[in-house]
Amino acid sequence: MIHLYRVNKSYEGIPALREITFSVDKGEFVFLTGPSGAGKTTLLKILFCAERADEGQIIIQGMNTFRLGPSSIPYLRRNMGFVFQDYKLLPHKTVFENIALALKVVGTPYGEIERRALTALKKVGMLNKEHLTPPKLSGGEQQRVAVARSLVNEPQFLLADEPTGNLDPASGQEIFKLFKEINMKGTTVLIATHDWETVRTMQRRIVAMERGRIVSDSRDSQKKPSPAAAVRPGTAS
Amino acid sequence: MRGYGPIFYLLEAYRGLRSNSLVNALALGTICMAMLIVGFSLLVFLNLTTAVRAMGDRLEMSVFLKDGLSPSDRDLLLTRLKSESGVRKAALVTKDQALTQLIRDMKGQEKLFQSLGENPLPDSYELTIDPAYAGDGKMEGIAKRIAGFFGVEDVSYGKQGAEMLGKLLRLVTYGGMFLAVLLGVSVVFIISNSVRLALYSRGQEIELMQWIGATRWFVTAPFLVEGILITTLGASLAVGILAGLFHALPGDAMLFLSGPGGFQFLPTGVIVLMIGGCGLLGLAGGLVSVNKFLD
Ligand SMILES: Nc1ncnc2c1ncn2[C@@H]1O[C@H](COP(=O)(O)OP(=O)(O)O)[C@@H](O)[C@H]1O
Ligand SMILES: [Mg+2]
Repeated sequence: MIHLYRVNKSYEGIPALREITFSVDKGEFVFLTGPSGAGKTTLLKILFCAERADEGQIIIQGMNTFRLGPSSIPYLRRNMGFVFQDYKLLPHKTVFENIALALKVVGTPYGEIERRALTALKKVGMLNKEHLTPPKLSGGEQQRVAVARSLVNEPQFLLADEPTGNLDPASGQEIFKLFKEINMKGTTVLIATHDWETVRTMQRRIVAMERGRIVSDSRDSQKKPSPAAAVRPGTAS
Repeated sequence: MRGYGPIFYLLEAYRGLRSNSLVNALALGTICMAMLIVGFSLLVFLNLTTAVRAMGDRLEMSVFLKDGLSPSDRDLLLTRLKSESGVRKAALVTKDQALTQLIRDMKGQEKLFQSLGENPLPDSYELTIDPAYAGDGKMEGIAKRIAGFFGVEDVSYGKQGAEMLGKLLRLVTYGGMFLAVLLGVSVVFIISNSVRLALYSRGQEIELMQWIGATRWFVTAPFLVEGILITTLGASLAVGILAGLFHALPGDAMLFLSGPGGFQFLPTGVIVLMIGGCGLLGLAGGLVSVNKFLD
């Protein structure tokens, strides 16, 4: 589903990603961990075509993103959901309108918008708050709305960057539970986080980064365990 | 790909305007004020121009003929007068016509003329002069040249009036240009900035729409519609207020400015231009501000 081969990216000459090579299969659930500044956000942004890699091959759903013109980027993004640490909900729109916007953006017929928005809100348990604006919700609730928005167009692939970074542990657990459910229905999930406790208890594939490099991948270590691939907790930022 | 029609973008624009009502109300107010000033200036300027033009149409010069000219001499003189630059029209006024006119002008004092044996008035050519020749002593130049023509006894015209008219015409022309440039530049600046300010607060929304897969067109279109709506609404409001004030005004309050048709409101063409021009500015402002936020 996603293949990266020797991807390099630097900001003003300072490398943020070095020789990144890894792939994610369809239906996988992957944690991307590592200390702050390791390059997790940069990697996700490259997958989302919000940043361009300097070198390397990036193939997403059979498409080489280097060959994509700017006009095809929106269509690529429609196959991916993205969840942000700070939710990125529009504060003046209601919960319902925030979800409806994602449907309108892809040209959903007017008649279907309400049904599909409400279905997505139901999945994340926010059906009863559809008329409120985001500032009236708790952080956990806002993130659930954001998850609903990322799912409403049924993407094959879900990216999340520190989705629980602003949440208390209990709300964080709820969000992770949601991701697990989404993954079970067939969506591929890639989450960047340094919530080490959750990562360990959830027993999914873990890709660890440090200073722009992938330092370990639990999938590889299952095949050929080596001391260098030992998973280490990331330091919180 | 599925897409939406123009009604969708209109509705989206309306939602956008409503959900940012404070910023948009401010922009609307600013645009309305700017257009009120423009409209008022235009109103005064257009009426002043009409009035001065009407005066210009009455710029005349009388060329009195010597007695006993042969018809062919007269024709020759007429041809020369007509080919003189600055002369728009030349019409013969015979001594009889002149006397009749004089008697009519001196109504009540007909007795004065009864003692008159023979008509003492000369024949004359009445010239209509191009208003461009008013002022700067240009009339005087024409008069001097004509006075030297064969068969001309004397030339007379209202010298003071002509100089005054010349000054007025210059004032109206250059003053109008100055005002147009000044107002034009400020209005372009004010309107495009108001639209930009109104849309600036929406950077977050534009960015987010792109993240969730919106095409450039989908993001841009409602903003363009909003830009056009704010500006045309502001301009229409200004025209409406101006029209209200115009009708509330007592008829003779601005008589000193009025032309032969009285004080006129802005012609439809000018109103359409004002509103349409604002719409274009709104479109440009919208385009500039959205592009700032698009990657
Ligand atoms: N827009 C940017 N301009 C300059 N440097 C950046 C930018 N974004 C990230 N970086 C740098 O790239 C490195 C990786 O950052 P990031 O991907 O945000 O790490 P993480 O998400 O793992 O904390 C850091 O050293 C950071 O300072
Ligand atoms: Mg980060």
